[in-house]
Amino acid sequence: MAKQRRPAGSGLRILLYAFLVLIAVLQLFPLVWVGCYSLLKSGDLFGSEFLKLPLHPLWHNYVRAWVDGKVPLYFCNSLIVVSVSTVASTALSFCLAYALTRMQWRFKALGLVAVTLGMVVPIHTTLLPNFIWFGYFHLIDTRLGLIIPYVAFTLSFNTLIYMGQFRTLPKSIEEAALMDGASWPRILWSIVAPLAMPATMTVGVMTFLNNWNEFIMANTYLATDDLRTLPFSIIRFQGQYSSDYAVQFACMVLVALPALLLYFVFSKRIMEGATAGAIKG
Amino acid sequence: MRGPFQNRSVVATLVLPGIAVMVFAMLVPLGFSLYYSFTDWAGFGDVHPVGWENYKAIFTQDPVFWRALWNTLLLMLATVFIQNPVAFALAALLAHVSARFSRILRTIYFIPAVLSLVIVAKLWVSILNPTYGILNKLLALVGLKSLAVSWLSNPHTALAAVIFIIVWQGFGWALLFYYAGLMTVPREIEEAARVDGANWFQTYLLVVIPYLLPVISAVVVIDVISSMKQMELIFLSTGGGPGHLTQFVSVYLYQKAFVAGEYGYGNALSVILVVLSVGLTLIIQRVMRSAPDES
Repeated sequence: MAKQRRPAGSGLRILLYAFLVLIAVLQLFPLVWVGCYSLLKSGDLFGSEFLKLPLHPLWHNYVRAWVDGKVPLYFCNSLIVVSVSTVASTALSFCLAYALTRMQWRFKALGLVAVTLGMVVPIHTTLLPNFIWFGYFHLIDTRLGLIIPYVAFTLSFNTLIYMGQFRTLPKSIEEAALMDGASWPRILWSIVAPLAMPATMTVGVMTFLNNWNEFIMANTYLATDDLRTLPFSIIRFQGQYSSDYAVQFACMVLVALPALLLYFVFSKRIMEGATAGAIKG
Repeated sequence: MRGPFQNRSVVATLVLPGIAVMVFAMLVPLGFSLYYSFTDWAGFGDVHPVGWENYKAIFTQDPVFWRALWNTLLLMLATVFIQNPVAFALAALLAHVSARFSRILRTIYFIPAVLSLVIVAKLWVSILNPTYGILNKLLALVGLKSLAVSWLSNPHTALAAVIFIIVWQGFGWALLFYYAGLMTVPREIEEAARVDGANWFQTYLLVVIPYLLPVISAVVVIDVISSMKQMELIFLSTGGGPGHLTQFVSVYLYQKAFVAGEYGYGNALSVILVVLSVGLTLIIQRVMRSAPDES
């Protein structure tokens, strides 16, 4: 596990702690600022004070953000699209990574190139052509039309994470199971998948967060309000309520909360798992 | 006879679904982009082939394109030479505090990376707002009111502000990689350096950094790729303005196709962006791979 360095002398040590805490405070301050003013009157934002504490919190701002930002509808839409794409991307990358690390096949090198290139291609270069191409299949302005690219653009990263995990697992277990006559689906599901659980957690959480936060594809492909995802709650306020800052800030907090909660619960997995591939490889 | 790990139908079942999704959502669209980049299609009406006209216009008559490329280069330099050293230094400091405390701090430092880009953009648009933004209030508080400007619409500050937002948002990733890397440095080699009389600076410069070169090069590759991929933060904060000063290729192609109605031209920009991203990645990976071998 973590190999912490020898601590410095006590005076330096206090300075070090103070400095690191200061950075953390600076990092958190914008969020605290938004949090405070989300509970005040919009006009308070124009006061000269640096930060005003909401001593008499106006929870009504949150009610308005919830209703006018269509948070429940967009939240459910996000949940559907993101859950399906996360499960699909996790399953597909698991299979792809297994074939790329364990199996021997002719086009393996090509497969690796495809996975690597998938990391490089910017999403934004597919926005224009997909409008036409997805149109042929009537996928524009549908949930499936969002799910497919969400899977495609998370697949490469996830495959690399899984490949890192598979390399740490001994092949002998699978070989023994094959000798005993176990079928491939059984080996993958009952032997490999449980052992790869740490990678699955990382892949699952990262994919969920990534797609949960995704905006530009949703903005491009979706026209129907009833299908829109959670980031649109914030966008909604830009036009008609553009002077209602407190409600906008409340909306930002509401939209940030689910992702932050998920992050705090799984932070260990995200922070250790996401870097594992790059450090070992 | 083929062994079980060479079973073709198993390989096909494992590989084809994933590859199919990538082909459907990435490769075929790029083919479409290529086709439309040789047309003058406006997004509706007839499609006329125009040969290399779009590409010619982009490279010879479009200052905005060059401005966008220049901005991308500046962003890359800012991430590699500002974000990177800062992240490395902080990661090194975090390695000197208790494991528990360092975990709490890392969790906080990484928050911007898990927020939606819509929130990050809106957050900084608010902070930098000239009338109610906190930055100008802070300047007024310390008596520097004369420095207060409209950060995102002032031609002198807009680009720096946008690059700062992107660097702020992406900083957590670099920190995470460096911290994970620092944890793998064997303590013995550091202590050996100390025994030989090296101070902390020499230890890092001569022992730790060379040891971590693979990690550093991995982070630099990620930096360059992600600089090419930036779009949302710019799109949602300045929209490339004022007067295309903060324009980036990914934003520009979007506006050309969906706002200006020059779909063919936008697709030509798309194709150029893909070629640049892939080409640059290949070059950097080659350079990075050969560099540590020589030393």
